[in-house]
Formats: sequence, structure tokens, C-alpha cells
Amino acid sequence: MNCIECQENLVAHLERVLDPDQAAECQNHLAGCPACRGEQANMTELRQRLEAHGETASRVALGPAVMGRIRRQQAETPSSVTALPGWVRWALGCAAATAAIVLAALLISPKTTANAADVMARGVKAAMRLTSVHLQCRVRSEPAENFLHISPKSDFTTVELWKEWEGQGRWRIEKPGRVVVMDGQSTVHFLRPLKSAIKVPAVPGTMVPTAQALSVAGETLPERWAPFDTGWLHAIADIERTLDTELHRAQAKGWPMTVTREVIAAGVTQSVVTVEASSGLPQGDYLHNKSFDTADTRRVYRFDDATARLQGVQVFLRDAGGDVLVFEVKHIAYNEVFAPEVFQLELPPGVVVGGEQPQLAGDDASHAGLTAEQAARKFFEACGREDWDEVSAFWPLPMDERFKRALGGLTIVSVGESFTSAAYSGRYVPYEIRLKSGRVQKHNLALKQDPKSARWYWDGGL
Amino acid sequence: MDATDKEHVEQCRNGHPDDYRFLVERYQGPVFAYLAIRLGDRALAEDAAQESFVRAFFALPKLKKPESFYAFLLGIAGRVAHEMRRAASRIAKRDDAAALVTADAADDREEYHLEEAIAALPESHRQVILLRFYEQLSCQDVANRLGLPLGTVTKTLSRAYAQLRQILKPQPTPDALLRVEK
Repeated sequence: MNCIECQENLVAHLERVLDPDQAAECQNHLAGCPACRGEQANMTELRQRLEAHGETASRVALGPAVMGRIRRQQAETPSSVTALPGWVRWALGCAAATAAIVLAALLISPKTTANAADVMARGVKAAMRLTSVHLQCRVRSEPAENFLHISPKSDFTTVELWKEWEGQGRWRIEKPGRVVVMDGQSTVHFLRPLKSAIKVPAVPGTMVPTAQALSVAGETLPERWAPFDTGWLHAIADIERTLDTELHRAQAKGWPMTVTREVIAAGVTQSVVTVEASSGLPQGDYLHNKSFDTADTRRVYRFDDATARLQGVQVFLRDAGGDVLVFEVKHIAYNEVFAPEVFQLELPPGVVVGGEQPQLAGDDASHAGLTAEQAARKFFEACGREDWDEVSAFWPLPMDERFKRALGGLTIVSVGESFTSAAYSGRYVPYEIRLKSGRVQKHNLALKQDPKSARWYWDGGL
Repeated sequence: MDATDKEHVEQCRNGHPDDYRFLVERYQGPVFAYLAIRLGDRALAEDAAQESFVRAFFALPKLKKPESFYAFLLGIAGRVAHEMRRAASRIAKRDDAAALVTADAADDREEYHLEEAIAALPESHRQVILLRFYEQLSCQDVANRLGLPLGTVTKTLSRAYAQLRQILKPQPTPDALLRVEK
């Protein structure tokens, strides 16, 4: 390898994307060539500066705050046309002209030329500037289970979402056993069977109180609590983003996309886009086909041809035993004005409201430094002894009588070796317990470790 | 291939202001880094970055070359940072003379020129630099995102590095030029 070839390959070498033979040739040349080593040093210095700046900028997410401020400033603009800033007036004029052009294009374009990507891209544009969205969905899940729970073996249960972007933003997500309401002041998660609720303050500029946003606001909550497991439903409710992300992912990953046209009624047609999504996880991975992000799925998007708006979504789990419909958005209403009651949550008398500052009980010294297996065993042993103070050292949620009745007096049959998945930051501990009722329960306890205290806490699997 | 800056700006001007968030996502990293180094404080930098993006949005009608959006945005960010530091200086004058010295010292730092140099790159080169370093994607992920062969990405990076080093090379000051002429 000569100097020109070496310097042409230098970036690829530093990025470690050369094949081993080329990398060895490049390395040999560098060892004997001070000029190329100088070039390498200069390039490395620049890369280090760029990496340092990139690191400074990591985890910055300004989009929601900036777009919220822009919407608010636009809303504050006086409605008199003569008082509008020139650009706003011009943009409104152009919007009307654009709509006319798009409509004309739809009328004169042969329908057969539309492909799946075009239909998705038109759907993205049609979902811009929404003021509210109302989704009526069904999901295979247990009615009282958390919002993340989806099981192909369960029957369908309803899930409904109302989201309003006006003002500070408000939302409500509900399934039969639980409801979460964010009214602009606070977010309350009410678990109906447990008769308990968790309340966290709203974070200005953030509709969904993510863990990051809460820490900025001086609050600290375990990550899984933050949006109360509703994050994926919020992602779907952001229809513009969902379709845009789906289109980009499908194109980047080469997922097959097809489009067909269906006649719904006389003169009413829908374009139906099907995306065959692949998780990329190996078959043997524990989380393969366990959640949307880790499953191989077929997603079917239905768009109204007249408005280009998304009308419904179906998600089928692709499994060896056949495809199973696991989630469906049956109806989408755009820009509805919601009744005030939608964002009001009257809690029944006697409901325990907790979780404003959840802490793991007990001292760090005697609970830190355990293995996940040891933590799982201590947790179950404490349940067996009905030592609820000790259980609280691993259990971050409020505990009610139903919880204590279910787990008190259990005996451990086995606690296995923990394992993890490429898609989960905690660990799973296989266990088998015999409850006081005589029922044997065999599952995997999901535990996460608090990075500061090194203490394990329950994250799922009971 | 992602849409260009020009396409996004034109979409915003044509009645689709929500398209602006694609520009926010693309440039929030370098603008934040630029401001964090100038202001020396992450919280201040986040406020300044938000303010810069909002001002830039409402100033889009004044942008003569939509393809130069990033340079335009960085100019606004520089002014916002300057205003914030002047405000901090006024408080410092009142409260603590030492704080004023610290705030002024940031002016001498060269680090923030990096983002200005990136603004001078052709858009295709800038896009690769931003994805690789400010979105911290691997070269393979950049290639996938842009639908380019891996070799094209590494060659683009190589050309971008050369241009950045050229731009960042210390320029002779007018005084130095004068001395040379003498």
C-alpha cells in the first residue's frame, strides 16, 4: 500500500470498517511512514473534537419544546388578517393553493402509479398540524394488566386514547382495568382493581413525563413509571411521526411494502399499505416476538383516498403457528373538540394515592451488591415471611391488601440462573413459587438495578 | 435519502410548519454543542438553543437561500448567546465582578468555531458529519440511513475532514498580513 492508497483508506481504517487484510496493510504502511502517521494524528485530533462535541450534544431533545413554543406563539397571533405577520398570511394562502394542487393531482393521476411509499408519505403530510386525535383500539391483553401487556393467547380488550395538543396539552388513555389522565397539571394513573393511584406532577413543555423530563424538573422516578407504560400508545397517537418513522425504517431496513386499493362504499376507496417488519432479533432470544419492538410483525395501514388520512392500523404477530392479530386501531377521529370530562378523573373514595416520591425501603448497605438471583430469592423469602417492610426494599409500588393476600406465605420451589435480552436493560430470573392458595406459578421475574445504589428492584414478571 | 434543508424550509413556508421539527432534529445537536461551549452551562445552552430555533422559525421569510438554513440558524444562535451573556454580565456587574471575567473568557475559546466550520461544508458532507458525530451513528448506520454504500460514506467523511481542517486552520490576522507585506 502506498501513501495515496493509505490516506484514501485512513477514514475506513479509523472507523474499523476495512477488511482484515486491508487493515493490516494500512497498519504496516503507517508503521513505516511518518507522513501518513502525521495525517492520521491530525485526523484523529479532529475526530476527537467532533466526538467531544457530539457527546456534549447527546441526549438533547429540543423538538417538542420548540414546536410547542412555536404553536403557542402562532396561537397568540391576533386573528385579524391585517394584524397577521406577513409570513403567516402568506403561508396560509399557500396552504390553500397547495391543497388545490394536491387535489388536482389526485384527480388526474392514474391510481395505479401510486406505490406504498407514496401513500405513506401522503399520510404523513395529511397528519401534520393536528390539534387532537382520538384512537379507539383493541389489543390482545388482560383488561387489568399494564398497558405494555400484549399476549397472543389473550382475548381482545379495548384501549382508548384521547390526546389534545392545544395549550399545555392533555391526554387520557384507558383500558377496562386502568386509566391514566394528564390534565396539564399532573398525571394520575388509577388502577381500578387495586383501588390505588399514582400521581406525578406535569412537566412544563412535556406532555408525557419521561424519566429524563422528570429529572430535569427535579423529580426522580424509575424509568418504567414515567409514562405509566403508555409510551408506545403515545408514539402511535403521533400519527405523522409514526408513519414517517415506519416509512424511513421500512426503506432503510428493506422491509417489503405493498399497497392495494379497497372499495369501502360507492365512491369511497381506501389504500391499504402492508409492511412486513422484521425485528432482527435471533429466534432464540428471550424477547423475540415478546413486544412490538422485538417482534416480527405485519402492519397494515388503511388510508382514506380522499383525505390521505390514516383510518386504521392492524398489527399481526408473525409466528411459526400462523399470523395472529394482536393490536388494531379501529377508528381514528381527527381534530375533535373533547368534552372537559375526558380529562377529569374522579377517584372513588378510599383510593390510596402514592408514588409522588417513590423510594425503595430499607438501607442501601444491606440490599446493595446482591446478584439478581440473590435479590429475587430475598424478595420471595420476604413475601413468604410476610415481612412487608423487607418486601418494600425490592418493590417500588404501593402495596395493598390484595397484593399481600396473593403473595403472603408463598414458598419457593426454585430460583434459576438469571439471563438477559439484547432488548432489555435489566435481568430476568426464572422462578417457580407455590402460593398460599396452592397454585404454582412459574415465570421470569424482571429486575432492574438502580445505577446509583446498585439495588435491584421489581420491574415485572409477577 | 432524507429531504434537504431547502425542501424542509420550503415546506414550512408552504403552509406545513410542522416540517420544521425535522430541521430541529437535524441541527439540535450542533447548535446545542455550540451554545454549551459559548455559554459554559448546559441549562443555559438548552434555553438558548430553544430560543434560537423559535426565532429562526419566525425569521424564515427573511432567509434568502433556504439551503443555507444551518448557517442562518447558527448566526441567530450566536446573537442569542451574546444577548444571554450580556444579561449575565449586567447581573455580574451588580453582584460579582469575578463572574464577569469568567463569562468573558469564553470569547477566547476556539472550540465553538467547529460548528461554524461545519456550516461551511456542502450539505451532503455536513449531513454525514452530523449523523456520524452528533447523532453518534456508526458509518454503517449512516450508510443505511442515507441509502448510500459504506465506501461513499467513508470517502465523504474523508473529504469533509480535509475541508474542516482547512477551514479551522488559524487565519492570519490583518496585523500579521501587514507585517508580511512590510
